[in-house]
Amino acid sequence: MGSDAQAGTFAVVGLFSKPDAIIAAANTIRPQKLGRLEAYSPYPVHGLDHAIGLGKSRLGALVMGMGVAGALLALLFEWWTSAVDYKLVTGGKPLFSWQAFVPVMFEVTVLFATFTAGLAMLFVFNKLPFFGHPILHSELIKGITRDKLALSIESTSAAFDLDKARTALVEAGADSVEVVPFPVWQSPLSLAGLLRTIGAIFAACVVAGLGIYGAEKMVPIVPPMFHIHDQPKLNAFRESSFFADGKGMRPAVAGTVARGHLPPDFKTPEEAGKILANPLQLTLRVADRGRKVFNDHCAVCHGAVGDGVALLSRAYGGKPANLLASSAREQPDGYLYGVIVLGKNAMSSYAADLDDADRWSAVHYVRILQRAQNAKDEDLR
Amino acid sequence: MSNQAPPSTLVRNLLLAMVLLGAAGAAAVYFRVGADRFWANWILWTLFFLTLGLGNLFLVALERLVGAHWSVPMRRVPERIASLVPLSILLLLVAILGVPALFPWTRPEAAHNPILVAKSPWLNFPFFVIRAAVCALAWILFYRFYVRGSLKQDSDKDPSFTVRARRLAPPFVVVFFFSLTIVAFDWISSLEPEWYSDMFGVYLFAGTFISGIAAMTLGVLFLIRRGRLPEVGSKHYYNLGTLGLAFTVFYAYIGFAQYMLIWYADLPEEVVWFKHRIEGPWQPIALLLPLLHFFIPFFLLIGSAGKSKPKVMRIAALSILVGHFVDLYWLIFPIFGAPQFSWPEVSMACLFLGLGFLQLRRAMGRGADMPVGDPLLAKGLEWQL
Repeated sequence: MGSDAQAGTFAVVGLFSKPDAIIAAANTIRPQKLGRLEAYSPYPVHGLDHAIGLGKSRLGALVMGMGVAGALLALLFEWWTSAVDYKLVTGGKPLFSWQAFVPVMFEVTVLFATFTAGLAMLFVFNKLPFFGHPILHSELIKGITRDKLALSIESTSAAFDLDKARTALVEAGADSVEVVPFPVWQSPLSLAGLLRTIGAIFAACVVAGLGIYGAEKMVPIVPPMFHIHDQPKLNAFRESSFFADGKGMRPAVAGTVARGHLPPDFKTPEEAGKILANPLQLTLRVADRGRKVFNDHCAVCHGAVGDGVALLSRAYGGKPANLLASSAREQPDGYLYGVIVLGKNAMSSYAADLDDADRWSAVHYVRILQRAQNAKDEDLR
Repeated sequence: MSNQAPPSTLVRNLLLAMVLLGAAGAAAVYFRVGADRFWANWILWTLFFLTLGLGNLFLVALERLVGAHWSVPMRRVPERIASLVPLSILLLLVAILGVPALFPWTRPEAAHNPILVAKSPWLNFPFFVIRAAVCALAWILFYRFYVRGSLKQDSDKDPSFTVRARRLAPPFVVVFFFSLTIVAFDWISSLEPEWYSDMFGVYLFAGTFISGIAAMTLGVLFLIRRGRLPEVGSKHYYNLGTLGLAFTVFYAYIGFAQYMLIWYADLPEEVVWFKHRIEGPWQPIALLLPLLHFFIPFFLLIGSAGKSKPKVMRIAALSILVGHFVDLYWLIFPIFGAPQFSWPEVSMACLFLGLGFLQLRRAMGRGADMPVGDPLLAKGLEWQL
């Protein structure tokens, strides 16, 4: 055998018919270091992996690592979404409720672990995609896919010697030995093949699209969820023969007051100024809230500093009150509160937009603006 | 039998001394500390033995049910551990005397508790005793059938027993699940009769099965080390590791599912049971449970290497067994408030551990170490992973 024949050889393969025989053969050939050993079998043979010198698979450790990573990632994400980014109390539970997180952690663990196991097994450890293994072009493959087992000595290592490998396999008791050459490869990626693939995908899209379009046109389709809006229950805007007034809606009993919406016990802002005092203590948080309320609701007309000059007044020529003027400064807090609740002149009531604390915070903020614009000497010290 | 060392009388005498000492301590507990403490310990140990025994009897029947070969050479071990069943039946029948001392639904005040009145068709003393007796009868019949039959097969080599054992396995499994659920609801859950959880029977089954596997593993490894199970190796007990791994996960799943649903719903009458058990003085024990019952065995057994190493298997099995005992303690003892562990528990443990080991030693000497008459034995010995 010349070196040319050796160079074109993928492996020397011996065929065996008993699992015990192939394990014994592998055990005698492995110490001779003739080349990388590989085995082909139609069914799993326990101990064969050890006999051909396969080490411990790293797949298990990888899967464990990724599983743990999945659990931690899920925990991190759940903690961040529910305890940091969007704090929403659910069912009176703490924001960080690990009990509720466990099912998702479990699912993500399984997801990461199974995907790692499947993908790493195929693409990392089995080195797929691999078009056309040389052994598929051999004569032996018919036996391997039925009931025979094959042991191959591959030519990848420098120590590989065709004749020695063949002798070793015969001596180890192989039923037959075959030299498997590298097949002549055809490049799997050609321009024509690529164009054919793209063309086929395009044709499939056209056919599917036209098919669905035609089906939609020709086959009368039942409106989706036909029955869901047609339930026999009573809706607020539906007629009812059950109630005397013939309406489905049950209005609140006369005199009902919604929680937090007690009507004010004053008729005019002046009256409010006499009976009300600001219940909120001025703190940094209250001031911040007041600024937000003022900027969101008041500043469009009264101006960002409260001087009555703002976008809206310039555009429409209205004359909103200058809150910095002495007329506003001398009014009690209750008066300003009363104006917010009842409105004044062209200003309408803001009672529906602002709750009690919002209004009083805004009053505090107006006082802050007034003081800032009329600062005395001692304020600067 | 030929390769067995003669039973040492020293160990037997030590165990007897333990029983006597423990019995003296137990008497002191009964008369000095209180009947309720005595009976709580009694029930704890009775249920521990009962679950170990039934778990192993279930393993024996499971092998017949699914037609497994790998476990045949080791089957004498679960058959011997199942000898805890008759012992615990005896203990359970005695424990009926302690029912009035321990169970609130037996007390006259129960007539004024609307929940207990509504439950009284089930929770009343005569029916309770009838249930216990029917369960005990079923267990002893199946125990005699499986264990005596298998011992008899050693000498007469009658293959028809294997067929009959397979045919009776499905009814046993049904009886096993029903009776174990009754034990869970009657003997544990009704200690706090207002509380109720659908899952509780399954929870006890999970603990029973996993601790049965753990006890069997310890027994098999013990006999292998003594050289009494020749030709049985890691390929056989590897499967015990696999089953153990699967069912620690099952136990954790059931235990957590029960807890999470009750935590989520937050119904006062349900949640208070867990509140006693996971907050305050019981918290360390509640944290110990998942560690012993799940995390330690899970991480020891998840790799293929651990399942074929006797040392790793032994640690995992011990962790599960201790975990199962702590589990039962955690289920029963909160009726006294804070965890009680003092000389009464130690002396009762002495008494029952002595009794249990004496019974196991007696069973260990019975018959050959492998079911030599079983026609499937050869197949089991040459079984490959």
